[in-house]
Amino acid sequence: MARGNNEILANLEQIVGPEYVSNEEADLQPYTWDMTWAEPRMPDYVVMPKTVTEIQRVLRLANHRKIPVIPYCNGTNIGGLCVPEEGGIIMDLKKMDRILKIDPETCYAVIEPGVSHAAFSAALKATNPQWKGEEFSKGFEFGWGVHPPSASVLAMAINHGIGHLNGRIGINSQLMSSMEVVLPTGEVAKIGSCAYSDSWHSFLPLPRMDGLFTGWLGTTGIVTKLGVWIFPIRPYRDVLTIAAASAEDITKYMVRWRHYSLCDEVTAVSWWLAQIPIVFPYSPKPADAPEFFSYTVISGWSEEELAYKRKMWKEVVEKERAKGTKLIDFEYPPEAKKGRTELPSRIVGSTKNYSKSCGGGIAWPGTFAPCKSWPILYEKWKEIYIRHGLSPATRFTDYQGAHYGMLRCMTPFNKRDPASVQAARDAMVECVRAGLPEGMLPYKPPVEYQNELNAVADAGYLYLMTKIKDMLDPNNIMNPGKLGIR
Amino acid sequence: MSHLLKNKNLKELAKIYDWVSMCTHCGNCKYGYEYGPTANFAAMLCVQGDKFNFDSYRGSRGKVSLARSLLHNRIGWSDKVAHVLFTCTSCGACQQMCETDIKPWILRMFETLRYEAWKQNVAIPENIKAWSSTIGTLYNPYKEPHEKRLDWLPSDVRASLPKKAEYIYFAGCTASYRRKQLARATVSLLQKLKVDFTVVEDEWCCASPLLRTGQYDLAAKFVEHNKALPEKYGASAFITTCSGCYRTLGRDYMMDAPEGYADKYGKMTGVKVLHTTHLLEEMLNKGEIEFTGSFNKKVTYHDPCHLGRHAEVYETPRNVLKAVPGLQLVEMYRNRKFSFCCGAGGGVRGGFADYSLETAGKRVKEAEATGAELVTSACPFCYTNLADAIELNKSPLKMEDIVEIIEPIVRRK
Ligand SMILES: Cc1cc2nc3c(=O)[nH]c(=O)nc-3n(C[C@H](O)[C@H](O)[C@H](O)COP(=O)(O)OP(=O)(O)OC[C@H]3O[C@@H](n4cnc5c(N)ncnc54)[C@H](O)[C@@H]3O)c2cc1C
Ligand code: SF4
Ligand code: SF4
Repeated sequence: MARGNNEILANLEQIVGPEYVSNEEADLQPYTWDMTWAEPRMPDYVVMPKTVTEIQRVLRLANHRKIPVIPYCNGTNIGGLCVPEEGGIIMDLKKMDRILKIDPETCYAVIEPGVSHAAFSAALKATNPQWKGEEFSKGFEFGWGVHPPSASVLAMAINHGIGHLNGRIGINSQLMSSMEVVLPTGEVAKIGSCAYSDSWHSFLPLPRMDGLFTGWLGTTGIVTKLGVWIFPIRPYRDVLTIAAASAEDITKYMVRWRHYSLCDEVTAVSWWLAQIPIVFPYSPKPADAPEFFSYTVISGWSEEELAYKRKMWKEVVEKERAKGTKLIDFEYPPEAKKGRTELPSRIVGSTKNYSKSCGGGIAWPGTFAPCKSWPILYEKWKEIYIRHGLSPATRFTDYQGAHYGMLRCMTPFNKRDPASVQAARDAMVECVRAGLPEGMLPYKPPVEYQNELNAVADAGYLYLMTKIKDMLDPNNIMNPGKLGIR
Repeated sequence: MSHLLKNKNLKELAKIYDWVSMCTHCGNCKYGYEYGPTANFAAMLCVQGDKFNFDSYRGSRGKVSLARSLLHNRIGWSDKVAHVLFTCTSCGACQQMCETDIKPWILRMFETLRYEAWKQNVAIPENIKAWSSTIGTLYNPYKEPHEKRLDWLPSDVRASLPKKAEYIYFAGCTASYRRKQLARATVSLLQKLKVDFTVVEDEWCCASPLLRTGQYDLAAKFVEHNKALPEKYGASAFITTCSGCYRTLGRDYMMDAPEGYADKYGKMTGVKVLHTTHLLEEMLNKGEIEFTGSFNKKVTYHDPCHLGRHAEVYETPRNVLKAVPGLQLVEMYRNRKFSFCCGAGGGVRGGFADYSLETAGKRVKEAEATGAELVTSACPFCYTNLADAIELNKSPLKMEDIVEIIEPIVRRK
């Protein structure tokens, strides 16, 4: 069965070629949903452009006919962000999958939207840091998350994705260095150093116009090329672990350890998230089990550097213990250690850890929150989750310097059971509502969270946001419905 | 609510909805990837997605999604649905990548979807329909008379074979009718190795093409018939050079769902199923084989999906090749569990010959890139597709099955 109309289909075929466009329901159906509770919605067309020019022409057509366009790479965002709220054209960018440049001297790469974490990590590992041909070390890395390796590097970065270098260097949107974007009205613009030469190394010292396309969930344009900083792989790596009886105690330890800026990452997971798979539906943890388990990844250029970091870490643990913080020793299972050091990992990213046997649904209140709010919100969230029959499978991760970090609750649910879906959605929305006054902000937010955000946002902020959106996208064709402002 | 099982008419599919619904839509199955200490493996493995682009075609996610969309009554059957279903080669790469509870059910789900498709008024590929219309009486999908099934076997050899034996050499339809030299080489090899075997005139198609294309009802009598052969001929094992037959006899006849169809057709018990390379490896290990010559060539091995991913036999054929004097084995980038299909399986060679050969052409290019002079495999069906692609693309590569490499240069110690 076909959707849309034949005239537009013919226009799209002219632009991208008949092989790269479809309006058949059988082709459209995988784009109707994702792993979250988002209600499936049918697009009317899917197109797979191969060039910037094709994207421009599709956007001009869409503008002319006022058809929504949803940028799409792999649809793994855990926010229903590619579900076409108002139908329209899914712009599947997987065919634009070239790694255009890896500069091993200036340490950046330029990629297209379709470049997967799998392909990028393989290419970076095969490229050695060097100066004029003289090699310093083996391989580069980027901030690898724990998502499926097929996910797009670009889509992750422009939506404030979180990778394994977040503690040392920052989240992935902080590692972006230049971009090329097609505006909703079809013009192409370069932003950052690439606007002046073919060097894609930095946005600074220019006005930060990349902000118009970062964190906007594909509602302001199509990013067609992205420069990102890459980092030499440090040959020595270790994972240090400690547990705690409470969220308060684990936070104290994490914040102190982070002040030293010695680790790549420090994360804590609640007992429920440490179970594989996450306990579903909720059942209490054994009374003698720690509430939180934490790991920190340290890396270095020599065994001595690693030994120094281990020594400092031990000091932090001892100092905290001396103050009365209850920290409990525990050993990380080898499989878990692998999952933390061998990234991107298809094992972690497969979602088996999160959703085995529960019925396919996964969502999260995934948020950025000031570290001091973690224990307060954990207690609130725990109460909410248990009330809804869900396990408080919570994660804290510090982002570069103890200012703020991830607070998130990975939530499996049974998609076949309306009550289970409802409970998960209600619990998560309630968590977001509870968190906003504490400085917590959801990332890659589903529409439901966006509505919560907008309800309490500064009026001037919403005014400016709307003005920018209207200026860039006068016909509101780009991923409409996701920001809750139009 | 949109995730409820609404379409109860799709009875077979509905039966496995519990498993289908375990897919999280994560997309791991869309691309091959593995972390490695020095280099990461990353490559497209889905034959179908590589050709037809959209997510509907790419890995299992698109087809699980299709199954759900049909069960939820969100979409109806169409020719396009049939195209999505029948252009998958059942290579199993997506299943290999998946890590959630749907994993073991993925290929079974594809076959169940195809089973349901046969009951709809949709465009099943004409060629599949054509062989399906005669297989019930000819017992092979090549539309050849059953009486000619043993024509490949020289009459003097036939006369010399015992009526009853320990092994039944199950040649399969492709070797019997299209790649007769492979059947002859296998028989000669088994004779040289003094294996107690026979060849039977009432061998029928193993039912692989029927099961892979979802023709469950037609498959029943084939399974029943072949299952009775060992007892009839006093044999305790089937041995085959065909990976498709190996998978079907060894798994579909012997294992319950989701690995096999014993739940549907009853279990074959008390019988061993071996691929020829299993026997070769075992005899090599026991020191029972002596090489009388060498094979001085650089060779790359193509993993048949039915032997590799479906049955997890990766090292056996390699061990056999490594034992051959003079043979230098080189690997393609995509190998073992991350191999790339030859493009023939799942009914695709019959249903979509051009696309099938295009896929084989990609594999041939990959083989060429190793610098090998010869590509070998352990399946007459892979042989056919790769050899045809070699010819079509005027590739300098030669194609030989493992048995063809081994047979001229061995004897029993
Ligand atoms: C199990 C699991 C674990 C995860 N862990 C992490 C993690 O550790 N860190 C993390 O950051 N994420 C994580 N994620 C979320 C997600 O996988 C990543 O953010 C991923 O990189 C998104 O890539 P994608 O190709 O699926 O993007 P999509 O979902 O296709 O797109 C994401 C958003 O970007 C927009 N978009 C896509 N391409 C463009 C473009 N070219 N221009 C403009 N807008 C565009 C889309 O419209 C959408 O709003 C996880 C997901 C799963 C399922
Ligand atoms: S079985 Fe092979 S061709 Fe079919 S969807 Fe899976 S990976 Fe693709
Ligand atoms: S089939 Fe497996 S790997 Fe593919 S989307 Fe579903 S759960 Fe993920």
